[in-house]
Amino acid sequence: VRLGPDNATLSVKTKKGGVASKAGHDLTMEVTSWEATLDDDSIVLTADAHSFRVVEATGGAFDLGDEEKAAIPQTVREEVLTDPRIEFRSTSVQDGAVRGDLTIGGTTRPVAFDLPAAGGRLAGHAVVKQTDFGMKPYTALFGTLKVADEVEVLFEAKGDASG
Amino acid sequence: VVELDHSFSNGKPTDYNWEAILDLDRIVPCVEGGRVVERTSPTEAKAEIKVKMGAMSMTFNGTVDVVEQDEDAHRAMLKVKSREKGGQGYANADVTFSLDDGGGKIHTAAQISGKAASMGEGVVQNVLDALIKDFTTKLEAI
Repeated sequence: VRLGPDNATLSVKTKKGGVASKAGHDLTMEVTSWEATLDDDSIVLTADAHSFRVVEATGGAFDLGDEEKAAIPQTVREEVLTDPRIEFRSTSVQDGAVRGDLTIGGTTRPVAFDLPAAGGRLAGHAVVKQTDFGMKPYTALFGTLKVADEVEVLFEAKGDASG
Repeated sequence: VVELDHSFSNGKPTDYNWEAILDLDRIVPCVEGGRVVERTSPTEAKAEIKVKMGAMSMTFNGTVDVVEQDEDAHRAMLKVKSREKGGQGYANADVTFSLDDGGGKIHTAAQISGKAASMGEGVVQNVLDALIKDFTTKLEAI
């Protein structure tokens, strides 16, 4: 099965932190350029980290405007993930339990997550710790506002993509 | 009013630091996001500070004036008065420098209103504290 933005969603959720976290937002960003190939026993996914789009920003003291939402992917490109390549290659897929190697910005680390086909619809999520990949979590306001080290990656097929 | 105390140490002679803190063209840019828009007199300037909060930013426009200077005691007060661009808020501060050999002390009494203040006094205090700490590290290289 081949999946991409047309028949599935891949998104990244970040949490805010720091003493001035009230000034920040929890973000949900959709990856708009990615593709995955799923077989019975393997998953290969590639994604472009420069194709993020903010779809939700919650919990801030002030609402974000369109211009500000557009500025976030730009910050990702310029300051967080200058290397856009993200790749995942499974090493084992068994009963919906997936293990494999995730490469972000040239650093590869093992990750594991569940990808159950609930009602014939694939959905799963994985937690990625930015510092494990040599990334420096974004900070602003002299370090009083931060993006939490752990980000959540969500995957959901739109229809019956279980093959 | 939020009151904060900091110190800086740069190993430079008191006379050097005294000149530096009274020169608004040198001292204002030591505040991250700060710049002199126009020097209106030796002791007065129109200035702007842009505070980046991630994707959002707030800009304050106003004046920075040297309102007190006691050369013998090496004590000076800078008065900052500013309004939030495109908003109702203001940010004012009296910043008092007391220099001693190789550095000095900074006392800040700030009043913030509007959007920034709506985040709560604790947040304002923490952010101001971080901003001034950053300012003191820049004074080390002034």
